[in-house]
Amino acid sequence: MNGFGGFLLRRTIGTLATLLAISVIVYVVFYVTPGNVAQITCGPRCSPEQVHQVAQQLHLDDPLYVRYWHFLQGLVVGQDYSTGTSVEHCSAPCLGLSYQTDQQVLSIILTRLPVSLSLVTGAMVLWLVLGVGTGVLSVWRRGRLTERVLTGLTLAGWATPVFVIGLVLMIVVCGELQLLPFPQYVKFTDDPEQWAWNLLLPWFSLALIESAAFARMTRSSMLETLAEDHIRTFRAYGVGERSIVGRHALRGALAPVIALNANNFGSAVGGAVLTETLFGLPGLGQELVHAVSVVDLPVVVGVVLVVGFFVVLANAVADVLYAVADRRVVLT
Amino acid sequence: MSEALVATQAPEALASGASGARQFWRRLRTQRAATVAAGIVALLVLVALAAPLLTALEGQDPTTYHPSLIDSARGGVPTGSLGGISGHHWLGVEPQTGRDLFARLVYGARVSLGVAFSATVIQVFVGLVVGVAAALGGRWIDQLLSRITDIFVALPLMIMSLALLAIVPQSFPRPVLVTLVIGLISWGSIAKIVRAQTLTLKGLDYVAAARLSGWGAWRIARRELLPGLAAPVITYASILIPVNISVEAALSFLGVGVKPPTPSWGQMLTAADVWYQAAPQYLLLPAGALFVTVLALAVLGDGVRTALDPRAASRLGVGTGRGRGRGREAVTTAKEESA
Amino acid sequence: MRHPSVTSARAAYVSLALVVAAGAAACGPKDNDANGSSGDSTPHKGGTLTVLNSDPQTDFDPARLYTSGGGNVPSLVFRTLTTRNRADGAAGTKVVPDLATDTGRPSKNATVWTYTLKKGLKYEDGTAITSADIKYGIERSFAPELSGGAPYLRDWLVGAADYQGPYKDKKGLSAIETPDDRTIVFHLNKPEGEFPFLATQTQFTPVPQAKDTGTKYEEHPVSSGPYKVVKNENDGEHLVLERNKYWSAAVDDQRKAYPDTIDVQSGLDSSVINQRLSASQGTDAAAVTTDTNLGPAELAKVTGDKELAARVGTGHFGYTNYIAFNPKVKPFDNPKVRQAISYAVDRSSVVNAAGGSALAEPATTFLPNQKSFGYTPYDLFPAGDTGNAAKAKELLKEAGYPNGLTVTLTHDNADNFKTSPEIATAIQDALKKAGITVKLQGLEDNNYSDTVHSVKTEPGFFLAAWGADWPSGGPFLAPIFDGRQIVKDGANFNASQLNDASVNAEIDAINKLTDLDAAAQRWGALDKKIGAQALTVPLFHPVYKRLVGKDIKNVVISDWTGVLDISQVAVK
Repeated sequence: MNGFGGFLLRRTIGTLATLLAISVIVYVVFYVTPGNVAQITCGPRCSPEQVHQVAQQLHLDDPLYVRYWHFLQGLVVGQDYSTGTSVEHCSAPCLGLSYQTDQQVLSIILTRLPVSLSLVTGAMVLWLVLGVGTGVLSVWRRGRLTERVLTGLTLAGWATPVFVIGLVLMIVVCGELQLLPFPQYVKFTDDPEQWAWNLLLPWFSLALIESAAFARMTRSSMLETLAEDHIRTFRAYGVGERSIVGRHALRGALAPVIALNANNFGSAVGGAVLTETLFGLPGLGQELVHAVSVVDLPVVVGVVLVVGFFVVLANAVADVLYAVADRRVVLT
Repeated sequence: MSEALVATQAPEALASGASGARQFWRRLRTQRAATVAAGIVALLVLVALAAPLLTALEGQDPTTYHPSLIDSARGGVPTGSLGGISGHHWLGVEPQTGRDLFARLVYGARVSLGVAFSATVIQVFVGLVVGVAAALGGRWIDQLLSRITDIFVALPLMIMSLALLAIVPQSFPRPVLVTLVIGLISWGSIAKIVRAQTLTLKGLDYVAAARLSGWGAWRIARRELLPGLAAPVITYASILIPVNISVEAALSFLGVGVKPPTPSWGQMLTAADVWYQAAPQYLLLPAGALFVTVLALAVLGDGVRTALDPRAASRLGVGTGRGRGRGREAVTTAKEESA
Repeated sequence: MRHPSVTSARAAYVSLALVVAAGAAACGPKDNDANGSSGDSTPHKGGTLTVLNSDPQTDFDPARLYTSGGGNVPSLVFRTLTTRNRADGAAGTKVVPDLATDTGRPSKNATVWTYTLKKGLKYEDGTAITSADIKYGIERSFAPELSGGAPYLRDWLVGAADYQGPYKDKKGLSAIETPDDRTIVFHLNKPEGEFPFLATQTQFTPVPQAKDTGTKYEEHPVSSGPYKVVKNENDGEHLVLERNKYWSAAVDDQRKAYPDTIDVQSGLDSSVINQRLSASQGTDAAAVTTDTNLGPAELAKVTGDKELAARVGTGHFGYTNYIAFNPKVKPFDNPKVRQAISYAVDRSSVVNAAGGSALAEPATTFLPNQKSFGYTPYDLFPAGDTGNAAKAKELLKEAGYPNGLTVTLTHDNADNFKTSPEIATAIQDALKKAGITVKLQGLEDNNYSDTVHSVKTEPGFFLAAWGADWPSGGPFLAPIFDGRQIVKDGANFNASQLNDASVNAEIDAINKLTDLDAAAQRWGALDKKIGAQALTVPLFHPVYKRLVGKDIKNVVISDWTGVLDISQVAVK
């Protein structure tokens, strides 16, 4: 198989295999994690009989492989479950039900995914602008004050944990200066303007800590390009510095920036835990950490899979973009 | 920094051992910023190693409570001015406990730098082995290792850490465990970089020549590839160290980091963020220490890269079909994991 | 047992299970100073009250909630047979009628309790509330699908131990009789003079069987209270409550229901909640929190600001943080070792670790320092403020450890002000002076619960905490010291595994009393008697301080919940 079709097929198979492997790993790891799931679900004061009833209800007494098999079955053909008063169907692909809340994992994920995507997409725009901008400026004005200040700023962002940056920003911007309201998630579909205003601070906090990597990446790739023979030739022919930096060197930085961006985007979808927690955004990261703390296995597996999917997808997109940007690259 | 341009004017370095190293040091020394940064990093390491000596000099230790120095009725804020800075407590005392902040900061450096450096070493080692093996092994080995790498890139570090840190018995020393968990989970990106770079190098003339003359894979890897991998790997490692410090901080934030009363910068930051208004120096000290460390490492990383740059600019760009961007493909970071 | 809500949101994610219950029940501040100072403090109807919380109301099914006195937000929607008196301070520890006409009529030996419903009670759809609905509500709380409530109903009702709820067992509970639509009778397997307290819990909420949707019921529970649920997003993260027009103040003298709308926003970071309340911008001016205390850092800031300090409410919930010993583990089998540690403890540094003297009061009794619990002051091993190292060393010598002793203290890694690393390190530092070297064993939250609550794995020396299911000595002492409540193969809370016939007999004797004041006195005496065995080292009782927005009026904080009662608050 060759060409784009072959690439897609190989990537799809590879993705599925990777996700399957991830689900097995998560099942095994959380199976051996301490924490009596039935007791946690039932409550600390539940009697042994009650705990036993709950364990039966949730099929916690089944061996691990049986539970995993049920999980796969649910994915392919769906699963029936009882609410006590009626029997409901969770249609394929069914990721199961939360131990804690009895809600379908897929619906939990679908309500939270837009929040995570809103956060990460906006932050991505900012970190690209801030990061690549800083990188370009620091090459163009290398050695000058602007470069040093900008580099220092992005590195300060890089060095500071988000819970510190975010909290201080919030106290200063929302509390003391009262420039913005305290962030609170508003759906894009409800009110796009409020959506953006409320997400501005979270975007900025997340972007600030990410942009240093982009600045460094852009800068080093550009410097590398600038050292190449053809640039020296351009210079010799009197091409202006602005044009050299802005057009030729920047093109060289495109590929690594795309790759870095893909990865950061993918893992921030489920990984921006602290940002979500701090700003009270009901996203996937927050849900995941909560699910881990109560050993809510179906939710953990479901969210990890969805996040893993985004990481893999983002990387595949990056490869395609990369090939578009640089025609010498062959998709594998 | 324009040194980069200067350095690449003399690209024929590092081909062979001893003289390469000398060249490297010479070139590193010509960069003023990098020299200063190296000095700062050395100083930080020295401070961490000499923590007991330094605190003895101050006459304090990181765990003793000084309740008389804090105002219990006001949440335990230090009573002295500037957070209780005095001849006895050089950097003031911690709110709520009155523990000496200087002692906690220098002991914290031990844990934070120790965890970050060792975790980075593990990540680099695993990444190198897997990356090189994938690139030099056959098609199936490559496929297998690449998919395994994908899995480790896609697994959320924070979540796996939370789970693994809960599984391992409490008797296991926590800093070592945190190091191992970070090191053994998030090596995926570095493996990807190494693989891509190795593939590029493999196609180059001198490596091809070595292969033709019947050198074994191990010998090729050691003698011909490692020098070529050094630049991207070291650059990436200089990014990873601060990331790992942040990850340790985030683990502390989520309650599974290094255990008290052992201080770490991450733990101090975690405890201090809410004190930003009432006792600002409590937050500024670990944040400042972290900033200086990151800045120094970044500048040093740049310097090392410039000094090492194994003709990357002139060599990798040529013809090989896998461009140099690929060489640093996915300099992904675990940073967003701690976001 | 009920844990008060944690002060830190991040802890909420690392700590677990009960957080939900705590979020449901725990509550807010008291406008002590504002009550005196502000001019027009007359509350008026109308407006929207915003509630800023860290823990989402993930459980909103009356069967699943574990509350003390019916909870705060839940109590706006769920009425129960009895309820807590919505009054400031000690008066608020009284139990009063809610749906019922009185707090219950006991049989002579307090094993049969009879209630009559008020006339004219209606659900949000206008249909009448019947006694059969209350019976059904209790029955469904036995279903494994809807687990989570307190254990008392299962323990007390005749033949309820193995009952699996109405979904699996259509026959129902014969221990509850409903001879007519307004009468309900409970048959208990032993005398329980405190049954009226139990009847405040949300399991006593009427649930119309026709409207029951099992595990989905919490999405729209049928209201019997002044508000009904009009929006429940993201599994309790955002709730909007509006007036239930069929509720009438004529049949509810407890809930004031001033605001027209209640908007509950949760999933917020605790420091953000406190920032928002102190800034009081926009809708936050009419905001309160029902689960977030001021932390020490915030307190340091607030105390320096007069305007803010006036908006802080202070409350006491019956709660004790203590060191638990397991005398089955050496060297804690030796009373002298336990006494030595009791003497050596430095309560001032423990109090500092818990947030300072404004947020914690040093404790020398196991019972909380409130009259309703029967508080009887005693200090049997006086350690003073900072510990009595000399006396501790002396006792250790007598116990055969002249050169000191090394022990392991187990604690929870979650940063939750109860059993957290901060408290453990404070104890470690204090015991050092008495020649006791303390090694810390910090366990992840779930692991900690499993370990300390199992008789098989219980460590000898660990941090623990206990809260009141209702403000009385019974639910405070019995689970911890009643020998018959030792659970061999499940969650055990009698950590010292005390099985003392005289203690057990006294517990039974007090449970027979329906005169709660007389009972309180005897609980106090029993506490002192058990205290002599040095099975625990009481450390401190937490104090709750919470901010309210600047437009909030009529703040009522009872000693039952220790936090502002949301049903009393007005925003106009």
